Amino acid sequence: MDVLGLMLGLLGAAFAAGMAGIGSAVGIGIAGESAAGVMSEDPDKFGSCLILQALPGTQGIYGLLIAFIVLNKLGLLGGQPVSISWSQGLLVFAACLPIAIVGWYSAIWQGKTSAASIQMISKKPDAFAKAVILPAMVETYAVLALLTSFITLMVISF
Amino acid sequence: MGVAELKKAELYYHKSLRDDVARVLQRSGVCHIIEDSHEESAHQADVDERLAACEEQETHIRYLFRTLASRYNDPVPALDRMLGEKPALSLEELAETTQKMDLKELAASVKKTETALNELRLEAAQLKANAGLLSKIADFPHPLAALTEGTRTLTGVLGSLSAAQSQALTKDLRALRADTELFTAARDPKQKEVWVVILCVRTREREVLEICAKNGMSLVEPPSGLTGTVAEESVKIAGRLAACEKKEAELLDVLTKTADEWMPSVQKASDYWGILRGRCETLAASGATEKAVKTSFWVPVDALPILQKQLEPVGPGAALYVSVPAKNDVPPTLLRNNAFVRPTDALTNLYSPPVYGELDPTPFLSPFFFIFFGMCLGDAGYALVIGTILWILFKKYRKIPSSLRNFVSIFSIGAVTTFIYGAISGSFFGDSIDKFFFMAPLRGIKNALFFLDPMGDPMSVLGLSLLMGVVHLMFGLSIAAYSEFRKGSYADAVGDKISWILFVVGLILFGGGAAGFLPSSVYVMGLGMAAVGACLIFWHAGRGHKNIFMKIGAGLYALYGSTSYLGDILSYSRLLALGLGSAVIGSVINLLGAMAAQIPVVGFLLFIIIVVGGHAFGIAVNILGAFVHSMRLQYVEFFSKFYSGGGAVFTPLTLSTRYVRIADGQD
Repeated sequence: MDVLGLMLGLLGAAFAAGMAGIGSAVGIGIAGESAAGVMSEDPDKFGSCLILQALPGTQGIYGLLIAFIVLNKLGLLGGQPVSISWSQGLLVFAACLPIAIVGWYSAIWQGKTSAASIQMISKKPDAFAKAVILPAMVETYAVLALLTSFITLMVISF
Repeated sequence: MGVAELKKAELYYHKSLRDDVARVLQRSGVCHIIEDSHEESAHQADVDERLAACEEQETHIRYLFRTLASRYNDPVPALDRMLGEKPALSLEELAETTQKMDLKELAASVKKTETALNELRLEAAQLKANAGLLSKIADFPHPLAALTEGTRTLTGVLGSLSAAQSQALTKDLRALRADTELFTAARDPKQKEVWVVILCVRTREREVLEICAKNGMSLVEPPSGLTGTVAEESVKIAGRLAACEKKEAELLDVLTKTADEWMPSVQKASDYWGILRGRCETLAASGATEKAVKTSFWVPVDALPILQKQLEPVGPGAALYVSVPAKNDVPPTLLRNNAFVRPTDALTNLYSPPVYGELDPTPFLSPFFFIFFGMCLGDAGYALVIGTILWILFKKYRKIPSSLRNFVSIFSIGAVTTFIYGAISGSFFGDSIDKFFFMAPLRGIKNALFFLDPMGDPMSVLGLSLLMGVVHLMFGLSIAAYSEFRKGSYADAVGDKISWILFVVGLILFGGGAAGFLPSSVYVMGLGMAAVGACLIFWHAGRGHKNIFMKIGAGLYALYGSTSYLGDILSYSRLLALGLGSAVIGSVINLLGAMAAQIPVVGFLLFIIIVVGGHAFGIAVNILGAFVHSMRLQYVEFFSKFYSGGGAVFTPLTLSTRYVRIADGQD
């Protein structure tokens, strides 16, 4: 049964990196469309648009972070893969779910907020700080999900 | 420290002195002009006329920039210019250069070239379209005049239709039994479209057109002016096209030469007219009588003596009256802080500067901002890279404008806190010290400093992050309590601020004691503090209500507000998460590098590329995250406790330039 445990653990890592990554890709895509629209009118805004566009990218990184910790925990990064039961594998899988789900969804909404913020600085360039803060509000929940996943992984021992 | 004290200044002067006065005020760079309410006057009409003149010159300048910028190879790179590397000129030199040139004439001549260029491009497009059309009927045997002009009796129709329908068309035309000639152009068998020319007698043209329409032929108006055979006309068109292209290249060359010759002067003119407009706007904001003009402005108290000295040469025709801000005045806000706090002035101004006379939050947010930034970025190696880049930047560019210099300094101080946090958490380009054999000599130093392990013992670091949050929030509440005391609202200070400090801190001590983290004596003390705090909150919230039930309801509702403190404190967990993020991304990069290094032959090269590129990416992403989230903790969690902003930034009239530096002006 040890193969099933490892598989479940890996599935968790794949979900964390994959779903959070999809979310970030969609979010950055949404923000990028908005940025391209603004820059077609005002190419000088490239710098501030790029920063706002990059904001929904962190969820993908959080997902990668959890995936990396899982791979490390399963002994797949050099050394011998650990032998775990299917129920232990399921624990790892469960631990990955918060960042997978919240990362996926929050990145998309953060992308929408970024897109709106980009529209805002096209009209009010002075409000850049406020424009950056609004998408950062969304990210809070991805941070909380990351912590939940991380701490759960730390607590699981085998 | 804090908000600079301003005085309201009113300068009365004779109309003849107005240019001298405007020049002095602008050069001093310390006067925030106040828009005076005023009526129509000769002075106003005069100034409006001058503003219109500035506007006209600036219109020419904008046009020239727009047209010539793409043809101009600026010898000063944009980055250098941003960092203050601009040619230095005195104001007199700038005026001299600008007055020598006639912007209107220059703009007109460029406009002429541009118009010619556009006409040429239009013609070339038309020629290309004609050439394309001729290529469709390349083997048409008659002169094109038969089609484009016709004769007294003969006329022609040109068009295309699908191959299937062309046979039906042939049949229909034959059935017409008129003098028609159908020419079908040779075509590639793969092409479904057939081009045809029908020549017919004018009297039957209508019937022919009906047949065309019936068979779905799309008619094309033959281009007029083509009279020779297709081959002759094609040669002519090719010749014209070549001539067009040559002429276009010539005109572009003219534009490039004009740009090279004139752009530096246009840039200077842009600065010059910008400066003049600043002065005119100042005069336009001033009130006037027939002979006298009055300009009002805000000036920092400490700049006043210098300003008075600078006004001396204007003579006795100008008189300065200085007063303290009246009750209904709304002075702008100028932040004055020491070198460590000054970089973060920008953060306060970005949020919203304090109202004049209110507390400046910058000195309070500054240390927290830098600590949080350090915890979020949290890598000693990244800090070294940032520090080195900034050091080179400051060394190479000596004349960086002060606003930019202050902003960049945020990262210099941030690099210091990042280095410290990176050192104690053992992060140096991720886990490079443990991972790579060539970093082994550093292991001793790393282990000596290392006592905080976000990876191995995240709960301690989470605790530290939340503790930072509690300190930050309680500090914010203390400031709020202090300002309430200062205003004399003792009840609010005790019931709404200090009560919360007691309640939150008490609950934490109580919880810590109950969970066994803290000694049990603290547990009792915590319980007491929380109880007193809760009573105070309850009392304060119910104070405004007469009905006993309303009192209880309001009190309970206020206590329910403690959930927002829970949310605020948990929000600081991002300090752990972002620091962890930097560390893990760094480790992933190192791991990939180590894997690549095992590839034979190219391994070392790949290792360098992955490690350098990867960490560069890591630095960029993590700086952004660290900056944004440290800022957010100030704006959302900290400011909401005591600060609302709402002031206006002090924006003095200055010699603001974009392309040159005024050698004898201020910064």
